[in-house]
Amino acid sequence: MLLWTGNHIRIEAIRRGWVAFAMIAGSLLAPTARPAANPDAPDIHLEITPRICTLTGNDKQCATPVHAQWRSNHDESLCLVVLERPEVRHCWEHYSAGSYTIDLVFAEDVVFQLRDVSLDHVLASQALRVIREALQLRHRRRQPWNIFN
Amino acid sequence: MASRRSVGAIAAAIVCLLCTQATAAGKECSAPSDECVAVGTWSLSVALGAGVRTNPVAGGRDIPLIVVPQFSYYGKRFFIDNLDPGVTLFDGDSNTLSLVASPGYDRVFFYRSDLQNIFAFSPTSFAGGSTSLVTKPSPAIQAEKPANFRELPRPARKVTYLAGPEWTFKHGRLSGQIDYLHEITGHTHGDEMRAALGLPLASVMGGTLSGRAGFTWKSASTVNYYYGYPGVYRAGWALNPFAKLGYSRPLGKKWEFDAFVHCERLGNAISDSPVVDRHYVTTAFIGATYAIHK
Repeated sequence: MLLWTGNHIRIEAIRRGWVAFAMIAGSLLAPTARPAANPDAPDIHLEITPRICTLTGNDKQCATPVHAQWRSNHDESLCLVVLERPEVRHCWEHYSAGSYTIDLVFAEDVVFQLRDVSLDHVLASQALRVIREALQLRHRRRQPWNIFN
Repeated sequence: MASRRSVGAIAAAIVCLLCTQATAAGKECSAPSDECVAVGTWSLSVALGAGVRTNPVAGGRDIPLIVVPQFSYYGKRFFIDNLDPGVTLFDGDSNTLSLVASPGYDRVFFYRSDLQNIFAFSPTSFAGGSTSLVTKPSPAIQAEKPANFRELPRPARKVTYLAGPEWTFKHGRLSGQIDYLHEITGHTHGDEMRAALGLPLASVMGGTLSGRAGFTWKSASTVNYYYGYPGVYRAGWALNPFAKLGYSRPLGKKWEFDAFVHCERLGNAISDSPVVDRHYVTTAFIGATYAIHK
């Protein structure tokens, strides 16, 4: 059973006061903490499906088609690349949206990036995570009398 | 009685050895392998090939090995390995201690339909019935009737199960196993001790050549149940040493080449039985194993 005493009420009032102060200070400081939004800067969103691959049992790697989709508020010329897989590159010229599907086999995280056509600047990035289900292992029985052991 | 004392001494030695082995270096299970298995998984495989297990029982037919299914399931504690269920009490890097149940082995020579022959069967294995039983003649009888075997009524030899502790250990490349089992189905009331050591000998042509050696000790009541004959022969305890040479080589993700020769010498109490006419049991096989699920 929770009993509210006078001290509890005072502590709660002080706590609420600090929260309100932090919110006001945060709203005042926020514009100076981040650079001002540039209306000409590209606003590019990249989405990949699936986002996670879970390895279970004796699975050693994921094998799945991955769908990447992007959109922008302006026409863009850009390329979709996969880190550490130079063979994967798909480019668009003067498009505001695009999609690409690729069959991948992987055992570690796969990072998709949208880059400018020179591939120097990263415009957007998403990772496809690999999660390994925790395997509990034990020793297999040795049985010399079994003719196949 | 003396044999029981000696078995007790051996059991005590095993416990001491277990204590010393507990500190020995071993390989920890970090990934599924031939040595380690993921908890909750099962495997099913079938070996296809040509092989035979010789039958030491007089008049008994040799047991062909053509299709040999193998099944296992490993839970966190419980496991079943073909016909052997068990519970693991301790599973360490070097030592594993379990309680297991295992069928009596000798019945396979008398009944072709024995469950153990299902795991080493040919199309003729399910004909059922028992091996026709004859006795080898005594030297005197042999002199008078060299080709005349005397038919005897067949004593029942029922399916038996034994249960008890099983200790397996690994020390470097050497692996070993010791079981002390007591019959629990109320037929023989006997005991068995099974012990073996195994060692990979060499890598040959992409495969592994391995050797195994050990023995099975059977108490007098166990031997007598299978090989004794009322009023004719009362058996004592028997010690059967064996040696095995095997070769296996992976042939891809699902297939493996397997070949082996396993030779067991029957103890005197068994080979002296009037229903036995050979001193050795030889099992040989050559073929391929297909992993249906692993």
